Amino acid sequence: MSYSDELLFDNIDEPNLKSIEVYEQRGGYDELKRVLRELPPETVLNELQASGLRGRGGAGFAMGTKAGFLPKGDMDKYLCCNADESEPGTFKDRELMQKNPHQLIEGMIIASFAAGINKAFIYIRGEYEDQADVLEAAAKEAYDKGYLGENILGSGFGVSLVVHRGAGAYICGEETALLDSLEGKRGNPRLKPPFPANAGLFQGPTLINNVETLSNVAHITKMGGAKYAEIGTEKSTGTKLVSISGCVQKPGNYEIELGTPSRELLFDLAGGPLPGREFKAWFPGGSSSPVLTPAEFDLPYDFDSIAAAGSMLGSGAIIMIDDSVSMVDVALRTAKFYKHESCGKCTPCREGTSWTVKMLQRVEDGLATPMDLDIIESVCDQIMGNCLCVLGDAMAMPVSSMVKKFRPEFEAHIEAARLKRTPLDEATLADELNLAEMATSA
Amino acid sequence: MTPETTHLVIDALPAGYSSKPAGEPDRAAIVFTIDGAEVTAPEGLMLVDAAKYGGVEIPVFCYEPKLGAPVGACRMCLVEIEGIPKLQTACSTPVRDGMSVVTKSPRVIEAQNSVVEFILANHPLDCPVCDKGGECPLQDISYGWGRGKSRFTEPKRHFEKPVALSPSIAIDRERCILCYRCVRFSQEVSEDYQLVLLERGADAHVGTFDGTEYIAPFSGNIIELCPVGALTSRAYRFQARPWDIEQGGSVCAMCPGQCNVTYTVRDEKVMRVLQRDNHAVDDGWLCDRGRFAYQAWESEARITQPLVRQGDKLLPARWDYALDVAASALKKAGARSAALAGGGTTNEEGWLLRRLLIEGLGSRNIDSRRGGKLSADVARTLTEPDVTLSIPDVEWADAILVLATELVDEMPILDLRVRKAVNHRGAKLAVATARPSSLDSKAQITARFAPKAVDAFAQALLRSISGEDLGDLPTRAGADGEEIAAIAELLKGAERPAILWGEKVLYYAGGAAPAMTVANIVDKLGVKNTAGAGHLQIPVQANGRGLREIGFLPNLGPALTEEGDGKSSDEIAAALGDQINALILMGVDPMVDYPNGAEWDDALAKAGTVISFSTWLDGTAERHADVIFPLEVGPEKEGTLTHPDGRLQRLRQTVERAGEVNAGWWAIAQLAERVGLDLGVKVVHQITAQIADGVPIYAGITPEEIGGTGVRWQERAAAGNRPAPSRTTFDLPEPQAAAQPNGSLRLGTFRSLWGGGDVEHAATLAPLVSRTRVELSPADGERLGVNTGDEVTLNTESGEVTAIVALRDSIPTGSAFLLDSRDDGVRRAVAGSPALVEVVK
Repeated sequence: MSYSDELLFDNIDEPNLKSIEVYEQRGGYDELKRVLRELPPETVLNELQASGLRGRGGAGFAMGTKAGFLPKGDMDKYLCCNADESEPGTFKDRELMQKNPHQLIEGMIIASFAAGINKAFIYIRGEYEDQADVLEAAAKEAYDKGYLGENILGSGFGVSLVVHRGAGAYICGEETALLDSLEGKRGNPRLKPPFPANAGLFQGPTLINNVETLSNVAHITKMGGAKYAEIGTEKSTGTKLVSISGCVQKPGNYEIELGTPSRELLFDLAGGPLPGREFKAWFPGGSSSPVLTPAEFDLPYDFDSIAAAGSMLGSGAIIMIDDSVSMVDVALRTAKFYKHESCGKCTPCREGTSWTVKMLQRVEDGLATPMDLDIIESVCDQIMGNCLCVLGDAMAMPVSSMVKKFRPEFEAHIEAARLKRTPLDEATLADELNLAEMATSA
Repeated sequence: MTPETTHLVIDALPAGYSSKPAGEPDRAAIVFTIDGAEVTAPEGLMLVDAAKYGGVEIPVFCYEPKLGAPVGACRMCLVEIEGIPKLQTACSTPVRDGMSVVTKSPRVIEAQNSVVEFILANHPLDCPVCDKGGECPLQDISYGWGRGKSRFTEPKRHFEKPVALSPSIAIDRERCILCYRCVRFSQEVSEDYQLVLLERGADAHVGTFDGTEYIAPFSGNIIELCPVGALTSRAYRFQARPWDIEQGGSVCAMCPGQCNVTYTVRDEKVMRVLQRDNHAVDDGWLCDRGRFAYQAWESEARITQPLVRQGDKLLPARWDYALDVAASALKKAGARSAALAGGGTTNEEGWLLRRLLIEGLGSRNIDSRRGGKLSADVARTLTEPDVTLSIPDVEWADAILVLATELVDEMPILDLRVRKAVNHRGAKLAVATARPSSLDSKAQITARFAPKAVDAFAQALLRSISGEDLGDLPTRAGADGEEIAAIAELLKGAERPAILWGEKVLYYAGGAAPAMTVANIVDKLGVKNTAGAGHLQIPVQANGRGLREIGFLPNLGPALTEEGDGKSSDEIAAALGDQINALILMGVDPMVDYPNGAEWDDALAKAGTVISFSTWLDGTAERHADVIFPLEVGPEKEGTLTHPDGRLQRLRQTVERAGEVNAGWWAIAQLAERVGLDLGVKVVHQITAQIADGVPIYAGITPEEIGGTGVRWQERAAAGNRPAPSRTTFDLPEPQAAAQPNGSLRLGTFRSLWGGGDVEHAATLAPLVSRTRVELSPADGERLGVNTGDEVTLNTESGEVTAIVALRDSIPTGSAFLLDSRDDGVRRAVAGSPALVEVVK
């Protein structure tokens, strides 16, 4: 890495950094005080835009631009911090919230100041109980110190903060489903437009950003947007937290400069494959990103390079797959997850994910033919781009990529699994396939 | 391709949209391209609708504009729009000038094929045994936009099927394609909030949250909204296939709402009732009573032949005999006869009955309402076109006051229109009633007054609007002065205020004072020259307005001209057996329909001959009628009705009359002949023609002109024939003060949608008929030591009755509301309108 300083993970393991005393000893909230004292909101917004910071939740949309979409005016405006980190393989926000909650809160206050927001929420996934406890305690500390609430530090600016726990649904990480859930409704994605910037939470202007994105805010204003933009590549600025998991020697969260060669992350930071194993495939950005192969290890790890290779950087979660793992298993496991998490609102996702799982299960069980692989690819194609939100695509993209790139392995698996079936299994075949039903549904 | 912005005269106006309501904004015309053709359409329409202007059909499942904002869930309507990389849902994309849309490219066809394939993946192909088969949008779209074969070979999803969602509705969750329409209806249109989506993903299914039955006033609409056979009518299930049936359009005459309906007929029987979308009347919805009460028409209990009383028995009789008995009594009584009309009595029936009494018998004792006589000025003022509203006007009003009426029980369909006005048109709502209203939750201001104190309340509101001191009026009304002032501000601040008020108050008040106050309020608001502002009277009787306007009143003739000085209904009651010797009841039963039913019971016991046109053998028919003629039910009837907003509508006969039933007008003509009067009618249209001749405001109207969607007389040239009122404001009598409870409770009454013969004899509605119930506030419940479900005795100065307690949070402490039904005990207890009631455990 050419940029060797850590930003978000600076002192991350310092004992009790989560307390406001330690955070302040480290200079925490100084930036907030400076911003409120010295800078008008437009300047802060300009700095955020100049930084080129792209959203760290998955979509990679420029944060400053998004904040600039909020209409001016006197109405209630909302900031929702998306802490529903639920993309399989992603666990960076968890560490940020657990160990340095005030970095997030300070960032949220400054972002609210920049966009004229007066009501802020952290929507945290229900499973993150400990982290939610930490955030609630931190929010209380910040209120007690006067960093939250009315008229913060006598600046005239005020913002409230509520930590809201979700009930455990992947779909609530989708920004509009998050809003519905936060409003107390069933967490289903909304039709866009209108976009949240215009009609979001309670139909008010709403800015939604990921934990990591907001944790960057205070660092950006402190060093200046232009300076921040020098880190990383031209279009992928800054550092990125990468959660590396799967078949590697040293799984964990790493902060890297965007644009670092992928090989460096996988071999130097994560220690490479387990002894005696070789990497076979990797998800570069969470389980919804199309898989890449070892041929792509030299890609710079940034938004555009990964996209150019036909995948996406997503939330920055790298899952490594080695030669001990069956791609059929990976595809089935991935599809099952999205089938289980599909909200059921739109047709292609609801029916397509469930159909794909059924077909992959037959592949797994040796009850499929290579023709079924064509149907899987076709079903995935029909899901992609045709759904209400991106959950359907999140299954179709990786599954389709696995079938395309590892077709010989799938075909070999079908043949091997078929041969493994005993004659007794064959006898139950009719039952499993429910032939009677096939006849009526043909 | 930027044409000048013009205001379109849209060719395809929604049905019944004879004129655009004042509040509805104009839409400019835009030009866009669809499948290569340039098309002009109104700006802002969703592409699905705009495409129709170019003759292009885009298939949809979840899209239904009546349900509010599109949800884009089914993905059936994906189209290609130039400049947008992804396919877009045409249901949620507003058309814009210069837009270029493709609906037939390989890419779009592939997406349409795929969505059909996805939807059919888990849809059982049991069309041959499915009620929807043959009239199923899913079938049509599968043929039109599907691939014709499926590659889905997996086991389908299974649910227990079908299960009862309610007594009236069955749900088959396997057939459900999760389009959300029913859930959105429940959540966003009727706002009963009962239907929800349970589970998620492929396991998602529709149900109620805790599995309780879906009981709601408008629940049946979800059957028609369902684009597949998932929601079916339990009464209609397996009764007919689409190729066995015929459809006949008519109008429901069970309440003043007069919703347009389609009767599904098989072998001369009504098999079901469907909506017939008329934006100007019903917006395409029906209440469950209108939808399911048809089952009662086939019930054994219905009277289908004439009955004549012999001794203490009612015996079946031939028509000739029954007519002879009735006619000789009428002839004998002559000018000492009287007639009351109500309910769904058509203009034609009312017209002939009026002629029979006036010309045949020399009697002017006819009435179609209660509460004394309306002066010509009051009656005319209340119908002046300048200050009365159409139904679409209500939708586009910017402030609505619901005064002394519970719409969901008295004109259910208007309840939905008020919700639409609030939810989608930005109207602000105030509700002022004695009993808490189902619209309270939509209201910006709710005001309560003491039961029977509407007069004092309305006068206080008038004073507040005039900026006068309210004095002790709020106290007399048992109301809050600040709430009154807030309503006054709301109405004064509005451009197009609308006041919806129940004629019922005149029935109870025994005078026209509340109506005069409404007239004064409208005058004071100064909206005479503002289109779309004014008031709408909710009549008690389904055709109350028509009967008044053809002159079925003791003191007023056609078009509310001053004519005669007969006895009003109350005077008739007092004169029975003395000055009145024969009484005809046409579609009205004063023992049941009037609040002083018990007094009528006593009066009728003294009557000479009572001739009743009845459907059910109950009330007056059972106890007092000497001759009973069977009454036609809705689909057997031909004639016209006048909607509360002045729209003349046509009833069309769609089935043969049951048993010995004959047309009501025919029976009246026969009676007339027997008393020596030739009414000159052989077919019903001759009567319509007589009305067109004899009622100046309906001059020249023909059934053809009324057509399938009706016509408002105010919008015809003949409206100029109306006699103007000589004054439009009135001196108001001093209002009575509400009774002081002093330990007992103020007594109010209410009627429920779920009552009457039509409901009691319909198999799937009968379970909804409530036992006699009294609603109390929790505080009074605690004070009296009673809880919901307890049985209590109610003592009034008139009598006592047993009732079941229902504690409701929103009932004001100090008041009790008794469900008014034809139960004898209730009729006795409320006789004479007692102000107070004692509740004893």
